[in-house]
Amino acid sequence: MTATGAPLRRRLPRIPDRFAALGAVIIVIVVLASLLAPWLAPYPDDPNPLESLQPPSAAHWLGTDKVGRDVLTQILYGGRTSLFIAAAVLAVSAVVGVTLGVVAGYAGGWIRDMIMRVTDVFLAFPALLLSLALAVVLQPGVNTVVLAIAVTWWPWYTRLAASVAASISTRSYVDAARCLGVPAPLIILRHVLPNSLTPVLVQISLDAGGVILTAAALSYLGLGAQEPTAEWGLMVQQGQTLFTTNWWVVTFPGLAILVTAFAFNVLGEGLRNALDPRRAVK
Amino acid sequence: MRWHKRLLVAGVTGALALTASACAGGQVRGAGGTPAPQASTSTSQAAQANDSTFVYVPNLDVVTDWDPATSYSNEIVALSNIYEGLTRYNSQTKKAEPRLATEWTAADGGKEWTFKLRQGVKFHSGATMDAEAAKKAIERTIEKKGGAAYIWDAVDKIEAVDAATLKFTLKYAAPLDLIASSGYAAYIYDVDAVDPDGKKTAGTGPYTIDSWQKGKETELTLKAFDGYWGGWKPEQYKKVAFRVTPEITTAWQLLQKGEVNFVQRLNPQLFEQAGMTGNVQTSRSPSFQNLLVLFNTASGPAKDVRVRQALQAAIDYDGLVAALKGSAQKASGLVPQGLLGHVNGMEPKQDLAKAQQLLAEAGYGPDLPELKLSLTYAQGDEDQKLLVTLLSSALNKLNVTLQAKPMTWNAQWDLGKKQGQDIFVMYWYPDYPDAYSWFLNVFKSAEKPQFNLSYLKNADIDAQIDSLPQLTATDQLKADTAYQELQKKIIEEQAAVAVPYVQTYQRALTADVEGYVDNPAYPNVVFFYDLKRAT
Repeated sequence: MTATGAPLRRRLPRIPDRFAALGAVIIVIVVLASLLAPWLAPYPDDPNPLESLQPPSAAHWLGTDKVGRDVLTQILYGGRTSLFIAAAVLAVSAVVGVTLGVVAGYAGGWIRDMIMRVTDVFLAFPALLLSLALAVVLQPGVNTVVLAIAVTWWPWYTRLAASVAASISTRSYVDAARCLGVPAPLIILRHVLPNSLTPVLVQISLDAGGVILTAAALSYLGLGAQEPTAEWGLMVQQGQTLFTTNWWVVTFPGLAILVTAFAFNVLGEGLRNALDPRRAVK
Repeated sequence: MRWHKRLLVAGVTGALALTASACAGGQVRGAGGTPAPQASTSTSQAAQANDSTFVYVPNLDVVTDWDPATSYSNEIVALSNIYEGLTRYNSQTKKAEPRLATEWTAADGGKEWTFKLRQGVKFHSGATMDAEAAKKAIERTIEKKGGAAYIWDAVDKIEAVDAATLKFTLKYAAPLDLIASSGYAAYIYDVDAVDPDGKKTAGTGPYTIDSWQKGKETELTLKAFDGYWGGWKPEQYKKVAFRVTPEITTAWQLLQKGEVNFVQRLNPQLFEQAGMTGNVQTSRSPSFQNLLVLFNTASGPAKDVRVRQALQAAIDYDGLVAALKGSAQKASGLVPQGLLGHVNGMEPKQDLAKAQQLLAEAGYGPDLPELKLSLTYAQGDEDQKLLVTLLSSALNKLNVTLQAKPMTWNAQWDLGKKQGQDIFVMYWYPDYPDAYSWFLNVFKSAEKPQFNLSYLKNADIDAQIDSLPQLTATDQLKADTAYQELQKKIIEEQAAVAVPYVQTYQRALTADVEGYVDNPAYPNVVFFYDLKRAT
């Protein structure tokens, strides 16, 4: 690239590489397919035991499962569950985490210490273990999964937001606002928060894949989504003993998890590179 | 699969026919019947000594209780090879056959039984098995009141007439030769040598304990008891190991590699594959083990009989059996085919319209308030899981949410005893070849429920259940009618239970094992002594 063009391009958010673009395309497809599941799905989401364990064919592109449900239909409906969980977990974590983080970062002192110590307590537990423990105690279901994962996810946003907010709080325009007598909540809302959001957004897109994986893991262990809710992890769990005899039952939902998690990951990676000037120089 | 609990089985028509004739006449059975396994250690010439270990693959822990008096669970697969009863049920001839008793007679219309005991039998402890020892063992089992001790309820008095003669006087007529063949609570053991820690064994059977490490993969190993009364031949298996393998795909791989010899249950797909695999043989046989879906008749929404009937109608019975692909048969009533009391024509059918209507009458349904029901079932049991999947899908459309929880047996059972669920799913099989246990243990009123996990309390039904043993022993036609009426009351009127299917046992063994016969009276038990290794 030329010396003159590079700085300009670096300043603009853009999709920096083909991988990230691919990720974005996959995510758009997955989201649309899931949202449109009732219209796109070739079969109703109901068992039909007489058709159980049919291999992939023209009638059932991805075959059928143990109780005769069409695997493609299940994957489409399962996408709704997985994406809903991801969206809900990230929304809850981001709102809680960023709020606390920004307050901690701006306020400093004992407020910061208190918030960060609580955060540390949550981070002291291995994330999946804490999620598991919660999911065991609560009634299994989609809402439980959201809660169980969000509990382990928010502290990361708190840390991230706190560190960003702390550095922004020392900027001169924040000092200026403070000197003018602008109340703290308004400073946080108008100056600190908006400027802290970029890294959070990048983190969200990087995390979406992880949340989907964790949710699938919980469902796989029987602690997440419950029958008859379609969910990818649950589908893998139901198909695992059939792997050597009826490979399609477990393979396709497994691929769905893999592809979606991968797509979010490369998109997040791409966004980070695009938005972080230091990383953009390669 | 999990088959905790209780009871088991049998192919009883023939057996009961026998009993009746015994009661009528008092002729000798057993004498000249099945010969005892020949004691012929020295006679086999060409047979090669079998020094390999027979490896049995259960999917759950083997031993929960070492006491032969109170044991009532999965350890039957081991204890049946360590302990013996007076008789053993033969599922092919449908008769009780000699084991520690060589012959027996019944008199006084089936109220007095005299067993002649085998001579020269030693316990593993070294003591001699005689009438006095047998009497003490049965009396101890009765006193302990644990497990299946109820099977001796009819017994009034036991006498050791002489060292070789054991006489029972009963309160009411009962088929004592069948009862004595029970897989639980009928063992004859040395009462002074019982060891709850499983370091020693106190039986007369062909195997004793070699090692037991609870929680280990190879939980238990057995070794031949040199002093076994039947003697040993070179080609028999002298060593046995139980290798706990919860994952059936792993079990299947181990079997293919020849690392294990017997897999209790594969899924239908792997079983089909096993049938086409060279070094593996398969065995399929009908069982006396059926699935019970017990509804909580005492509390919660299912207390309303209309809700229970709706649940019965919501189960896709045909679909379930189709999805089980040969590993189950649709049930008709509570009593499996082959037992006195089995009723034809009671096969249930799914009827969603009826289910919806019944629910609507009870105040639930698509445009009415949502109904939430909790269900517990056996963790890791794929067959029960299928039921849950089908039932939850069907109920979902009726605005009923099924909160199904897979649990370990002990946790599920503890919760069940506290009425902690609306629907309890479990298998049942009789202790001895008779239908009685389904009624006595599962549906008779109980202050503290053990297996009455529908919590049914009905004096009328209780009275009828109480009359069953005597009717069975004295008038089979009446007994059959009584069983039929009871099933109508329990399933149709009270709707306390739904019975979707009777399991078909599907075993896979390595091809070099000879002599395996599935005996549904002893579910999942392999009598290792009867096997030999092909050379």
